Amino acid sequence: MSERSLDVVQRWFQAVVTHPDGVEGGVESEEAQRLIRLNRSELEAVIGRSRNLTAAERMGIYANAYYARLLECLASFFPVLQKALGADVFEGFAFEYLQHYPSKSYTLDRLGESFARFLAETRPEPEEADGEDSQAGAVGWPDFLIDLTVFEWNLNQVFDGPGVEGKPLLTAELLQSFPAERFAEARLVPVPCLRLLAFRFPVNAYYTAARHAGEGEEPPIPDPAPEYVALTRRDFVVRRFPLMPAQHALLEKTLAGAPVGEAIAAAAEISGLDDEALGAELQAWFRLWVAEGFFQSITSP
Amino acid sequence: MPLPRLGYDNLGLGVGLRSTHFDYILKNQPEVDWFEVISENFIDSQGRPRYVLQQIAERYPVVMHGVSLSIGSTDPLDFEYLGKLKRLARETNAQWISDHLCWTGILGRNTHDLLPVPFTEATLRHVVERVRTLQDFLERPFVLENPSSYITFQDSTMDEWEFISRMAEEADCGLLLDVNNVYVSSFNHDMDPDQFIRSLPHERIVQFHLAGHANYTKYIIDTHDNHVVDPVWELYRTAHQLTGGVSTLLEWDANIPPFPVVHAEVLKAKRFMGEHLEPAAAHPETEPVLAGETVFHPLHQILAEVE
Repeated sequence: MSERSLDVVQRWFQAVVTHPDGVEGGVESEEAQRLIRLNRSELEAVIGRSRNLTAAERMGIYANAYYARLLECLASFFPVLQKALGADVFEGFAFEYLQHYPSKSYTLDRLGESFARFLAETRPEPEEADGEDSQAGAVGWPDFLIDLTVFEWNLNQVFDGPGVEGKPLLTAELLQSFPAERFAEARLVPVPCLRLLAFRFPVNAYYTAARHAGEGEEPPIPDPAPEYVALTRRDFVVRRFPLMPAQHALLEKTLAGAPVGEAIAAAAEISGLDDEALGAELQAWFRLWVAEGFFQSITSP
Repeated sequence: MPLPRLGYDNLGLGVGLRSTHFDYILKNQPEVDWFEVISENFIDSQGRPRYVLQQIAERYPVVMHGVSLSIGSTDPLDFEYLGKLKRLARETNAQWISDHLCWTGILGRNTHDLLPVPFTEATLRHVVERVRTLQDFLERPFVLENPSSYITFQDSTMDEWEFISRMAEEADCGLLLDVNNVYVSSFNHDMDPDQFIRSLPHERIVQFHLAGHANYTKYIIDTHDNHVVDPVWELYRTAHQLTGGVSTLLEWDANIPPFPVVHAEVLKAKRFMGEHLEPAAAHPETEPVLAGETVFHPLHQILAEVE
């Protein structure tokens, strides 16, 4: 037999060891057969046997390692999701995910970036998920899983993304010394690690409960309820801040680059507070956010 | 005739930097000769991993060790990735950059495993050409490591050591001799590990790796989760004699013990460098792993810290 090209050997090898049905399924898969036509008993025409193992057993080491390694990696990105689902169910989802979204990056840090999208794409219809009485488009437990996945992925992103450690931040003194008459037109520059998230389920609260739960304990899956969260990072540790809807509206405008006045107007519209009460709230919010390092600076127009 | 170690420094006895030891190292600044870092853990980091590496690179010599170069793949070289390697090497003043004689995927995919190549003339030409290209690009010493492997290809026309030797000569690159990988692959492929080591171009060996492994009785997997076993230390003694001594690095990637334990493990190498320091046998071949346990070459991940 003439030497096979390296390209063919590698395509074949990858098709075999990444096949979800293992080496036997991989060797007989359409893709592998197109590259190197052989049946499972002929594997030793390509792969040598050793004194102790057949060619199939040796290929099995790579096939087992491929999924085991990447499943472990995904579990480490989504520890609370894994806890919510249970290890076996999580692994089932993750196993399917790896077949739909195999890694195409030099880094494992991106391995989970499409997991939430995959869960949304494969989300069961509401009637399947929640019984016959559910309304089409209703929020159900799959949405809790999707929200939790988005939340945990964002924690990973904030942890290793851009930050402001060692850089100057906006201080309470600087904010107080800013001319009051120009405040409405000014813009607050958020730190690059500040992320705003909006969920259909209280996944941040669930995350806290799951982390405090003892070995073998599992917090119950919560009922749907809107939850708003800010994530940021200080001293290289990710910090989580639950937000009221009005706070979220204000920060959302700020992140979009709107002037402070416009951001406050957005908060006022949904806060339900009169001007005096809102004013007091705003002072408290800005005091907290500045102390927590949400902003780099304030700029005049 | 090249100089020993291709003229590069013998950095001494180093430890693979792992995130579980970040706090200990920053706080205690242990007397370690040098650190090797997993390149992919740091090249994109804008958080604590990168900060810690900067701190360490200010105090210790650093070498960058990659797992995603995929030098043996027929996919094109990823110059975005290589550019990031180059930048990090400049930032950390990396003494050299290393990766494995393997491929990690094809058709744009990455299996994140170190997959073996068939040892043929065609593969040799392919790898040599790519090593030359990336050496020109990196403008920094580059060394390739022999990986552990679990299969052999019927197409191979030469032994692994012949392939490695010719590759190093023709591409004019350095070698990272992983002594444990020699032991693992030799066991798995019924080869003589001593012959493997004796057959290499010793002046091109720039660095050694040492690690523990898992013995499944019928085969061995390179798990980096244990002490170095005595037969690997004996191979190290041979390699040390043949090379005259090169930078030596211990990898410990799973079930990682406290830093002083890891450091003490690599310091054992001193016993195998001289004629008069005979140690008592401390770690004979590992106990066989029970069938059914999932054991695999570990990943190198850094997990998020969340308050």
